[in-house]
Amino acid sequence: MRRRHFLSLLASVGLPQLSWADVGSPTFLAAAREPSGEYALFGLNAQGKDVFRIPLPARGHAAAAHPTAAEAVAFARRPGRFAMVLNCASGGVSHRLEAPEGRHFYGHGTFLENGAILATTENTIATGEGVIGLWARDEGYVRIGEIASGGIGPHDILRLPGDVLAVANGGIRTHPDQGREKLNLDRMRPNLTYLTTHGGIEEQVSLSEDLHQASIRHLAQHKGVVGFAMQWQGDLFDPVPLLGLHRRGGLAQLCTADLGEQLAMKGYAGSIAMTEDEICITSPRGGRMHVFDGQGTFKTALNRADICGVAASDHGMMATDGLGAIWHVDQNGLSRLGLADRAWDNHLIRLAT
Amino acid sequence: MRFTLFAFLALTSPAIAGINAVVDTHALPNVARFAEATATLDVTAQADCRAEAVRPAFQTAFDAWMGVSHLRLGPLEENGRALSIAFWPDGRGMTQRTVNRLLQDEDTAVADAESFAEVSIAGRGFYALERLLYDEAQSKYDADSYACALVQAQARDLARSGADLKDAWQEFAPILKSAGDAGNTRYLSEKEAIQAVFTALTTGLTFDADTRMGRPLGTFDKPRPKRAEARRSGRSLRNVILSLTAMREMTAALGGEALPLSDASFAETLRVAQELDDPVFASVSDVMGRFKVEVLQLQITATKEVVVEEIGAALEVTSGFNLLDGD
Repeated sequence: MRRRHFLSLLASVGLPQLSWADVGSPTFLAAAREPSGEYALFGLNAQGKDVFRIPLPARGHAAAAHPTAAEAVAFARRPGRFAMVLNCASGGVSHRLEAPEGRHFYGHGTFLENGAILATTENTIATGEGVIGLWARDEGYVRIGEIASGGIGPHDILRLPGDVLAVANGGIRTHPDQGREKLNLDRMRPNLTYLTTHGGIEEQVSLSEDLHQASIRHLAQHKGVVGFAMQWQGDLFDPVPLLGLHRRGGLAQLCTADLGEQLAMKGYAGSIAMTEDEICITSPRGGRMHVFDGQGTFKTALNRADICGVAASDHGMMATDGLGAIWHVDQNGLSRLGLADRAWDNHLIRLAT
Repeated sequence: MRFTLFAFLALTSPAIAGINAVVDTHALPNVARFAEATATLDVTAQADCRAEAVRPAFQTAFDAWMGVSHLRLGPLEENGRALSIAFWPDGRGMTQRTVNRLLQDEDTAVADAESFAEVSIAGRGFYALERLLYDEAQSKYDADSYACALVQAQARDLARSGADLKDAWQEFAPILKSAGDAGNTRYLSEKEAIQAVFTALTTGLTFDADTRMGRPLGTFDKPRPKRAEARRSGRSLRNVILSLTAMREMTAALGGEALPLSDASFAETLRVAQELDDPVFASVSDVMGRFKVEVLQLQITATKEVVVEEIGAALEVTSGFNLLDGD
């Protein structure tokens, strides 16, 4: 047994197994910047009230919540080389994940096999090939393998029933030495890939050639339909669709608002959420959220500066913005649940129900 | 009496005093002027729809639009208002296509205002009207032609948009001014109102530099002079100047004497713009001409940086957290 492996084992058995109920039963996780300039991860209840706060060493991106244990994996913003497993009961860092040599994280991950395996989206720096890294949680988050993501720039990753993974291969190649500079915009080719850890790629969906610069970035699901939110890398003044819906075995359905509203999104959807009746995508750049019905027909635009995080709640949606507000979203529009002196970051993560 | 006045002043924070000034001395008067100018454009076009007759009122109304086009908070951000007045930039040639289609089909939507309001925004507003009034091939229509009816419908639609914008601002003004009050669901604090004005300023300055100037500049190897805004009506540089003038006025209203560096930077940028002898940025294809246009673009960006820094420090606002840095 390798020394590191042994130490991790020791660490994980040393702590009692606390559930989400033990830390105040949060419904959501969200990262934020505080007025002091510090960053933290918050657990929020269904009413948007804080149930815990854990300091983060730097700005986070998304977090992956364990399905049962009070444990969250916070990713550094890309091109981050580290991720931290946070013990949401003690507020401490229980493990630190380091991307293997020649890899970096893209900022999203998800748990599989009832929480035994963590899957992370990663870049192979030398070739740009996307990889899904696999980590054994019960062995102290030791790296146990990896599989091809089926494209370049895998960003969001979603677990579907049967432990099928949906991966948003955004298509954009970056190199950590050049920060976030996009190296292949003229030949990028994003896709939505379905895969399993044992069988590899099961299905891939890509869009027509004229939309090859629509980076498929963030994902949500509802009853067998995967929704994908896109970020347009072409001319900002092109009214291209930013939302797509896909059911396994079918063709992608693209959804748009009217011309004026489509342009007002500024080619950018930052987050997506789906419920029984509605699909929402947010554009902090356009200061608005677009609400579609369950079939993908545009319903309305809701205006709010710097709105970005959005997730399904028990009775509609919940959304967060960079001005510190938390909103309930339903057919009456936005109603405020809370306001805190902090800037909510890109994503609001719903815990498993 | 004196005591009451003192108490009142004490209640008005500098932040909200700035917001009140932006609304009362800048936004509302400029919106009213725009409503008037578009109403005049409508009356003019209904009296004589021919291009030469309508052009002066078109220019005046477009000038008035430049006094409000940067007010990207509230009404212009909602219901597609801004784009139905000004559909630009138009990278896919939708304005020309929509105007051609209307002409070819002799679309009956021109008959009444409600139907015309349903026409694609690419066929409405200043840029669609500009095609008919200034394009060599399209501006020679007769008084009894379909094109004439289309011009009248576009002018009426702009007047309708002008009146609607004025009404919407009457409703919006008290909301902006009461930022942070209990029951104000739009602006949850005074700071949010300041932030909204600040974002409109930085967005407007970015639009002038990157879009109004950046589109015709293109790249050194591939300049795009035909992408200059409103080049047919000779307004490309004029729009930049009027837009900067309006934003300088808004900055002064917001910060009063507290923002001397911003005002000085606006003054310098306007001086550079007024000295540029290239009304439609036609010279971007030759080396010397291009250099002068680039100098103005850099100067606008420099002003934006000064404004961001000075207002940011004086009023404690920053650009949006997610807006600037998404993923």
